[in-house]
Amino acid sequence: MKRYDLIVIGAGPSGLSAAAEAASKGLRTVVFDENERPGGQLFKQIHKFFGSKEHKAKVRGYNIGKQLLQEAADAGVDVVLNAPVEGLYPDHEVTVRIGDSLRHFKGDAVIAATGASENMAAFKGWTLPGVIGAGAAQTMMNLHGIKPGNKVVMLGSGNVGLVVSYQLLQAGVEVAAVVDALPHVGGYGVHAAKLARTGVPFYLSHTIVEAEGEDRVKGVTIAEIDNKFNFIPGTEKHFDADTICVAVGLSPMSQLLKMAECDVPDDPSKGGQAPRVGAFGETSVKGVFAAGDVSGIEEASSAMIEGRITGLAAAESLGFITKQELEAETAGLENQLASLRRGMFAPGNKGRKITETDEGIALSESLLTQGYVADDEIARFPGVTKQRGIHPVIECTQNIPCNPCQDACRKGCIRIGKDITSLPAVDTDSQCVGCGLCVAACSGQAVFLVDEDYEEGYASVTLPYEFLPLPETGARGTALDRSGAPVCEAEVVEIRTSPAFDHTNLLTMKVPADMAMTARFFRNQKTESEAC
Amino acid sequence: MLRITEHPILGAPEKGRRVEFTFDGRTMSGCEGEPVAAALKAEGVMIHRYTSKRHEPRGIFCAIGRCTDCVMVVDGVPNIRTCVTPLHEGMDVRTQYGVTDRKDFGEEAR
Amino acid sequence: MMNDRSRDIGPFVPAPDDDMIVCRCEEITKGEIRRAVHDGMYTVTEIRRWLRAGMGLCQGQTCSKLVKGIAARELGISPALLEPASSRAPMRPTEMKVLGREEGACA
Repeated sequence: MKRYDLIVIGAGPSGLSAAAEAASKGLRTVVFDENERPGGQLFKQIHKFFGSKEHKAKVRGYNIGKQLLQEAADAGVDVVLNAPVEGLYPDHEVTVRIGDSLRHFKGDAVIAATGASENMAAFKGWTLPGVIGAGAAQTMMNLHGIKPGNKVVMLGSGNVGLVVSYQLLQAGVEVAAVVDALPHVGGYGVHAAKLARTGVPFYLSHTIVEAEGEDRVKGVTIAEIDNKFNFIPGTEKHFDADTICVAVGLSPMSQLLKMAECDVPDDPSKGGQAPRVGAFGETSVKGVFAAGDVSGIEEASSAMIEGRITGLAAAESLGFITKQELEAETAGLENQLASLRRGMFAPGNKGRKITETDEGIALSESLLTQGYVADDEIARFPGVTKQRGIHPVIECTQNIPCNPCQDACRKGCIRIGKDITSLPAVDTDSQCVGCGLCVAACSGQAVFLVDEDYEEGYASVTLPYEFLPLPETGARGTALDRSGAPVCEAEVVEIRTSPAFDHTNLLTMKVPADMAMTARFFRNQKTESEAC
Repeated sequence: MLRITEHPILGAPEKGRRVEFTFDGRTMSGCEGEPVAAALKAEGVMIHRYTSKRHEPRGIFCAIGRCTDCVMVVDGVPNIRTCVTPLHEGMDVRTQYGVTDRKDFGEEAR
Repeated sequence: MMNDRSRDIGPFVPAPDDDMIVCRCEEITKGEIRRAVHDGMYTVTEIRRWLRAGMGLCQGQTCSKLVKGIAARELGISPALLEPASSRAPMRPTEMKVLGREEGACA
C-alpha cells in the first residue's frame, strides 16, 4: 500500500489544476487517470475559450491543456495514465487498475475530479452503427485525425452540440442539420451564428423519429414535437446522413463519490447526481473533495478555478497552509469564479426564459429559433454602428462572461466596462485602424470589420475564417448572409494570417455597398454547389 | 476518405508509422498507436460486433472506453474495447458475435 | 414515497416504441422496463436486479438516466425523486484475472 498526501482522480482541467496547486504547497500528490493521454476533454477543445485574461480567454483549449500539464510537472505532480480508479472508500482508500493488477493507495486527502458523462437520447434505430455521442465525434477528429463520417445530423443545440458541429465543419464533414427538442437554441448565440452563416439549418422543437438503415445509418427522419414532446404528424423531414451525433447534455460522473459514502443528491440544476460540497469543494466525508464537472456541469474555465480552490483547501486540511493563507489565496479565485457564473447562461438561470439583455435590449428571437440574428434585429445592439471608414461590427447580442475584444483593441474602439458580461459597445469617436485583432480575439467569431466606403459602390467585410482550403486573394465566390443564404457575388481582396491571430484567418471580401450589413460569410466559387 | 490530412487549427495530425493488421482475416493498415477503432473507421469498417440476444450490429458509440459498444475479439480475447486499445503491427481483430468470434454464437445456445 | 406500493399507477398500456432497446449492453427494451414497473419494481435497483438493465459491461454508464426517466414517467413522479442505483467497484470492466491479482489479497 502506497501512501500520498493527496490523491487526485482525473487529469482533466480541474484535477490537474488542483494537483498543481496542492503540489506547489508541498503536498506529495499523485493523479490517476484512466485515459492514455492527460488533459481530459481539453485536448479535444480546439476553439478559443471565453472569459477574461485571468480565465485564459481567447486561448484554445488544447493549448490550455499543454500549459496545465507543464505547470503540474513543474510542481512535481506524479500523473499516472492508463490507470482507471475502480473504487473509492470512505477511509480515503483508492483502488486503481495498473496494468494487469489492482493496486491500493491511501491519500490523506482525496480530490475527485472525475468529470462528466454524456447523456443519451433513445430513438428508433439509436443502436445502429453511425449513431455516436458528440464526444465521440470530437475524440475521433481532434485526437485521432479521423472524421466520424461524411454527413452528420446533430441532435442537441447546447454548447457541446454547437461547438462540435462547427468542429465537424472544420474537419471537412458536412453538417446537414442541428436538431433540438427544445424550442430555443440551448448554447451561446454566437456559437449558433457561426454555424448558421455557413448554411447549417436549425430545427428547434424537433427531434429524431428514426435513424434509418439496415446495418448502419443511411439517413434520419426528424419531426416537430408539441409541448408534450409528441410528434406532430405531417412535419417529418428526411436527411441523408451516415452519422448522427447525440449532444443532449452531460451528467456528473459521481459514482466514486457515492461509493465513498458522500452525500450525492440528485440536483437537476447541476445536471444530475452531484456531491453536496462546501465553498472549497469539501464533500460530506472529511478529507474527500470534489472539483469540476463532477460537482455540477459547467465550462472548463470554471472547472480549472474550482480545481485550484480545492487543491488549496486540501493543503489547508492537512496543515500545509493556514486557514488565513487559504482564505487570502482563494479570495481572488472566488472572484474569478463568480464572474464566470454571471450572465444569461449562469447556472442560476438554468431553465429561465430571458427576453432582454441586462442593458434592456430585446433579445434576438431569430437567434433563439433559427440560430442567427435577423437583418431587422441586428442594428439594436451596441456593437453594431454605422460609421465612415473601416470600423468593427460586433454581433454579440447576449450577456456572456467574455471580454477579449475590449483588450484586443489598442485604439479604444470597443468598450465592455467593468462588468464582463455587458454587451460590447463600439465607440464611434475612436479611430479604428483596421488591424483586425478584435476579429481574431473574439472566441465567438462575432466581430467583423466593415468599410462601407471601400470603393465607389462597394463595401469591404472582414470576417474570421477557420476553414481549409483558405481562399486566395482575388478568388471570386458568393457572399452568404447570417442565415447562410447566398446574397451576392464577392471577391476576396485580402487574406491575413498571423501568429497573433492563432489560426483565425482574416478574410476580407468586396461586396456591393448595400450588402455591407448583410454579407457575413464567403463561399468559394469552386465549392459552390447551388446556383446563386 | 475519412483520414484528415490537414486541419485548419491542428495542422497535419501526428500519427505513428503505418502498420498492417487483419480484420476477420483481411489485411488492412492503420497507424501504430491509434485506437483500433480509429483504424477500422478509416478503413470503412462500421460493424464491430453483433449482440447476443437480437444479433444486431453495433459500432463505435462513445469512443472513450465507457459504453463498451465497440468491443471485438482482439488477438483471441473477446470484449476488448477497440476505441481505447492502441493498434500494433500484426494485430488480429475479429468481429464479435455475442462473446465469441463465431458467427453461430447464440444458435448453439438455443 | 416511491416505496408506497399501494399507490395505483394504472395498468400497463402497450406503446409503439416498446420494442426499442434502452439498455444497450443487456438489450433490455423500453417495454420490458415499463412492464417491470407495473409488475411492482418501483426503484431503479429493483429494475436492475430483475431485468439486468444497467448490469452489463458498461455498468449503466449509458442507460441509467434513461431507465430512471422511463420508470419515473410510469410512476408519474419526477426522476429526481427516484432513488438511483447504488455504485460499486469496479468502475470499469475488469477481468477476473485482474481482480485475482489484487495487491495485498494474494501475497
